[in-house]
Amino acid sequence: MRQVVFLAWQSLRFHRLQSAILIFGLAVTLYLPLAVNGLVARYQASLLQRAGATPLVAGGLGSRFDLVLHALYFRGHVPRLLKMADVQALRDTGYAEPIPLYVRFTARHAPLVGTTLDYFAFRQLPLARGEPLLQLGDCVLGAEVAATLNLGPGDRLLTDPENVFDLAGSYPVSLRVMGVLAPGHTPDDRAVFVDLKTTWLIEGLAHGHSDVTGTNTDANVVLDRTATNVTANAALVEFTEVTAENLASFHFHGDPGDFPVSAILPIPRDEKSATLLRGRYQVPDATVQILVPRGVVEELLGLVFRIKRFFDANAALVGTATAAFLLLVVLLSLRLRRPELETLFRLGCARGLTTRLVAVELTGLALVSAVVALTAAQITWALVSLW
Amino acid sequence: MVKLPLIARLGLASFLSLVFTACRPPAAASSSTVPARRPVVCTTSYPLFYFAQRLAGDRATVRFPAPANEDPAFWRPSRDIVRQYQRADLILLNGADFEKWVNTTSLPLAPQVDTAAGFKQDWLMFPEVITHSHGPHGAHSHGAIDFNTWLDPLLALRQADAVADALRRLLPGAGAELEQRRQQLRRDLLALDQELRGLSTRLASQPLLASHPVYGYLAHRYGWNLASVHWEPDEPVTDAQWVAFDALRARHSGTLMLWEEQPLPAVGAGLRARHVLPVVFWTCGNRPVHGDYLQAMEQNLDTLRAALASAAAANPAFRGGPEGTEKTGK
Repeated sequence: MRQVVFLAWQSLRFHRLQSAILIFGLAVTLYLPLAVNGLVARYQASLLQRAGATPLVAGGLGSRFDLVLHALYFRGHVPRLLKMADVQALRDTGYAEPIPLYVRFTARHAPLVGTTLDYFAFRQLPLARGEPLLQLGDCVLGAEVAATLNLGPGDRLLTDPENVFDLAGSYPVSLRVMGVLAPGHTPDDRAVFVDLKTTWLIEGLAHGHSDVTGTNTDANVVLDRTATNVTANAALVEFTEVTAENLASFHFHGDPGDFPVSAILPIPRDEKSATLLRGRYQVPDATVQILVPRGVVEELLGLVFRIKRFFDANAALVGTATAAFLLLVVLLSLRLRRPELETLFRLGCARGLTTRLVAVELTGLALVSAVVALTAAQITWALVSLW
Repeated sequence: MVKLPLIARLGLASFLSLVFTACRPPAAASSSTVPARRPVVCTTSYPLFYFAQRLAGDRATVRFPAPANEDPAFWRPSRDIVRQYQRADLILLNGADFEKWVNTTSLPLAPQVDTAAGFKQDWLMFPEVITHSHGPHGAHSHGAIDFNTWLDPLLALRQADAVADALRRLLPGAGAELEQRRQQLRRDLLALDQELRGLSTRLASQPLLASHPVYGYLAHRYGWNLASVHWEPDEPVTDAQWVAFDALRARHSGTLMLWEEQPLPAVGAGLRARHVLPVVFWTCGNRPVHGDYLQAMEQNLDTLRAALASAAAANPAFRGGPEGTEKTGK
C-alpha cells in the first residue's frame, strides 16, 4: 500500500497544475453549501439562544412576531403599548417579577432601551468599565456602541430627535455615560440602556425647570396665576441635561400608572408559575398577551428558512454538475494515461495495482479538497461572528 | 520467606498507603465556615425601619440610612447610599409620594415594596398647596399627597402587614416566628388606636390648630376639628403670618396648636399671648431622640393629655368629653 501511495503522490506532484485545479473545483463545490449551512445554523442557534434564555414576553395584543423581535432584539415597534399599571398587575399575580421595557427612542441611531436594574441582573451583563445606572439622565452603553461612538464613562450622549421636521416638539436629552457593558455577542452590545424614568423624561412626561410658584418667578413665563395654581407658558425653559444642581427640580406629571412601556419580560418563579401566569392572561377580554419567545422564534425561523430549501436544491444541482465534470475529467485523464498505465503493467504491476493507484490519487484529491473547504468554512464562520 | 519481585513490592506499598489514607478520621467541621449572608432590608422612613426591625428580629439586617437631622421626605441620598439601596434584598417604601428621591433614582423593581399602595383610596391630599401646570390645557400637577400615613395607627398597621408579607417572602423559613411578631405588633398598634380614640373623645369637637398640615390622617381618623397653617418650628413668624393666623382664629378658635418640634421662643410667646398653647406632637418621620416609634407616639399622647388638662384648667370655656368613651371617627 505504501508503494501505491508513493506513486500516487509523485503523480499528483508531477501534474501539480492539474491537481490544483481539481482541488480548487472540488473545494469550492464543498465549501459553498458547508459555509452557508454553517452560518445559517449558527445564526439560528444565536437567535434561539436569546429566545431560550427569556422565559416569557408580555405585550399589547397584536403581531406576536413584532412583539418578540421588539422585546428580545430591540427591533421594530410593538402594535400596542402597555402601561405601568399592567406591569404592577402582572407583579400582583405573584407568579412572576416583571422587567418593564420601553424601546422607542434612539441615541446616535442605537436603540435606547428604557428598563430597570433588574434587566442587567437577569441578562447577567457585567460592566467592562464604569458604574451601573445611578439616577435620571444616566446611560450605560453596549460594547459595540461604545466602540463605534468612542464613548466611555463620563462622556455625554445626545438622544436623537424623534421627528426632524418637528424640532420644537421633543427635546433631545443629554445623557451621562456611566458605564460600558462587556461584550456579550447579543443585541445588548448594540443598545444604549437607560432607566425607564429617563425614557419618560425624553417623552416629555417628566421635566425639570425653575420653580414657577415662587414670588420671584419671571413674569414672562407665567401665563396665569391663581391662589392655588400657576400656569406656565412655552417660554419656560426646560432642562435638557440632568445635573446634580437641577436634579431635585425634575418631576413627573400625571399618574405613574398610565406611563407607557412597550414590553414586559415576566420572570416566573418556576415552571408552574409560568403556566399559571399564561393561563391567567388567556381570557377573551385580556389586553395583554404573554408569549413563550422560543416557540415564536422557531416559528419565525421556520417561515424564513423555507427559502433555504431553494438554496439547498441549488447547491445539490451545482454539486451534481461538478461531480459530472469531475468524472469527465477523470475519464479523459485515464485515457491520456493509458500508455503510462500500460508501461506499469509491462513492468510487472498487476491490473489491480493500477486501479488502486488511480483510486488513491482521487481519494487524496478529495481529502485535500475537503480539508481546504472545511478550513475555509471555519474561517468564514469566525470572520462573520466577529463582524 | 518468598522474595517478591520489585514491582510487586511497589504495588503492595502503594496499596497499603492508600488504605491508611482512606481510613483517616473525617476532619472536624471547620470552625471558620462562612455563615449564610443575612438579607439586607433598606427602608425610606423611620416607622418602616421600626416595623421591619420588630418583625424580622435578627433574621435580617435592617437599615434606614437617612441622617437623623434630615427630613426623610425631602432627603437626597448620596451616591454610596443609593448603591446601598440598589444592593438591598428588600426596599421598603412608604409610598404616597413620601420618598421624592426615588422618582429620579435608578432602583431595581423586584425588591421594592410600596407599603401604602394597598390603601391608595384612603390617601389624603395636603390642603392649600400651590400647583403648577403648563399651558392653558397642558399637563397639570395635582395637589400634593399627604404622606404621613404612619400617624394613623390603623394605616400604620396595614403598612406593617405589607412589611410582614414582604419579609415572609424574603425569609421563607421564618413564617411562624414572623407571624408571632406580627400579632404582637398588631396588638401594640391597636392599643395605640384605642388610646387615640379615648383621647379624641376628650377633644370632642374642640377646634385644634396645627403649625404644619401633617396631622391630616389623625384628624380624619379621629374626627379632630383641625385647621393648619404652614409654619416651620425653626423659623420666625412674620407680621403678615400673624395677621393671617388671627383671621384664622376668628373663625377657628383653637387654644391648642400642634407642632412637629418646639417652636422658637418668640413664636411660643406670641402664641401664649393669644391664649394658644403650643403642643409638641412629634410626627415620627425620622428617628426619635429617645425611644422608638411606639414610645414616641405614647409620649405624644401624654403631652396632648397634659395640654388638654392645662387648657381646661386655664380656660373655663374649654369643654372636653370624658376620656374612654368611644368617639365616632373613621
